Amino acid sequence: MAEHDPTKPRPGTSRRDFLRGSGLAAATAVLTAPAVAALDEAKAAAVEDGPKVLSGELPITLQVNGHEMSCKVEPRSTLLDTLRHRLDVTGPKRVCDRGSCGACTVIVDGDTVYSCTTLAVSCQGHEIRTLESFDTGATGVPHAFHQHDALMCGYCTPGFVTACKAMLEKNPNPTIEEAKRGLDGNICRCGTYVGVLEAAMAAAKAMKKEA
Amino acid sequence: MQAFEYAGPSTIEEAVKSLTGSKSGVALSGGTDLISRMKDYVTSPDRVVYLKGVKPLAGITETKGGLSIGAGTRLVDVIANKDIAKEFPALQQATLEVGTPQIRNMATVGGNLLQRPRCWYYRSGLGLLGMKDGKSLVRTGDNRYHSIFMTDGDALFTSPSSLATPLIALGATATLVGEKGERTIPVEALYQVPKTSDDRELTILPGEILTKVTIPEPKGKNASYEARQKQAHDWPLVLCSVSLDMNGNEVNNGRVIIYGVAPIPWRSEAAEAAIKGKAITMETAAAAADAAVKAAKPLSANGYKVGLTKTVVKRALLAAAGNRYWEEA
Repeated sequence: MAEHDPTKPRPGTSRRDFLRGSGLAAATAVLTAPAVAALDEAKAAAVEDGPKVLSGELPITLQVNGHEMSCKVEPRSTLLDTLRHRLDVTGPKRVCDRGSCGACTVIVDGDTVYSCTTLAVSCQGHEIRTLESFDTGATGVPHAFHQHDALMCGYCTPGFVTACKAMLEKNPNPTIEEAKRGLDGNICRCGTYVGVLEAAMAAAKAMKKEA
Repeated sequence: MQAFEYAGPSTIEEAVKSLTGSKSGVALSGGTDLISRMKDYVTSPDRVVYLKGVKPLAGITETKGGLSIGAGTRLVDVIANKDIAKEFPALQQATLEVGTPQIRNMATVGGNLLQRPRCWYYRSGLGLLGMKDGKSLVRTGDNRYHSIFMTDGDALFTSPSSLATPLIALGATATLVGEKGERTIPVEALYQVPKTSDDRELTILPGEILTKVTIPEPKGKNASYEARQKQAHDWPLVLCSVSLDMNGNEVNNGRVIIYGVAPIPWRSEAAEAAIKGKAITMETAAAAADAAVKAAKPLSANGYKVGLTKTVVKRALLAAAGNRYWEEA
């Protein structure tokens, strides 16, 4: 499978592009003059006294899957919403949005974090990895999930795949207990934990063969 | 979440200046508590000061026989620290199961100590005391996770920090820096019992930043033991940390701190008195556990915590003495 380069547009019209297009038309129609003025007012302003204080919309640059990606966000934008809504990196999912379920898991500087409780503005200068960058070949974690039936409805899967990948990078040879502990931060409502743990152990094995 | 200004200082001085320059500014570190509170409009600051860029706040260093742990040190780094594992197992054991791997990668020592209570009345915007029309919703409502001590008062939530429990048992101090300079207080002095809905349960002043905790030279033995409803992604129901200054086989002075039973980390002087001058055996540990819960006054739905506290105190004492009988079965 060809690797998806998130900096390049995808071929054809995607469902996401279509929805975004129709949404934009509707949004433009209701944007009133006061709203436009308010948006202008909210533009990035640095207060002069003491350390730099940022507010309104700020230009930020994030390093995502090896690419520099730029957009404008408010300080309150989470890393998750910025990735999904501004940068079209839609692998991490928004499920609980309170750091409880793990579906939004991404890897920052080698460690898994919940992107829903991380501010995007604080991630500048850090290396962010999402599952879009993972090897989907026979020795990759996604393949192991596929082979071991490690998903049912699929909502939790991106988070589990990411947590699994990060765990195996730190501990390539986990015991089943260590794998359980390593994947503690993700919840599957369908209860497919047995498949997930099998996939994690199989991925560890496959990665070792490759090395 | 309401909009806020954002400051990303790189020194402690800048951080204090950024905080004091706003009306309701708050410090942000791991974000595992604060960001969810902001999303639920429980906390709506006008400014957020991000502390993870302040490098001097993170790290563990040796001090005259003890350890100094920066408030910005992540929990995952506390767990991995060999000195803590060797000298202060009570701290490592209480940190091991906090939250999840993701939370331990994000959360910091300072954030854990200063997180706000997990009481669902507070988190639903009903205030720390959970009062409506002058009546306590907690007392008549679902209080299964609430306090069993100090329940004559109106503050019925439980103090939420897993790390405060061992740190207080170990006699640690906390250092706070504000506009007027630095002050160092015992970790237990970070907490207070709110009397009215306007009071806070934390004593840290607006504009102050917790910079580090310092644990003195270890004396004797220490350990933590906790009981949980779920193994992963949960807070302990009850956690007990003990530190025993030994005189041969006998306890010279012991500290017994219990989590999950009171609106502050609960120091059980009754349990401490029960072990003074005695060797830790099954009998003395059980007697201390009985003494620990003697004054408990549970609410309508948390009577189970009395029995649980007894077991947790007994096992924490025995764990410190090296007897983990429950693992042998």
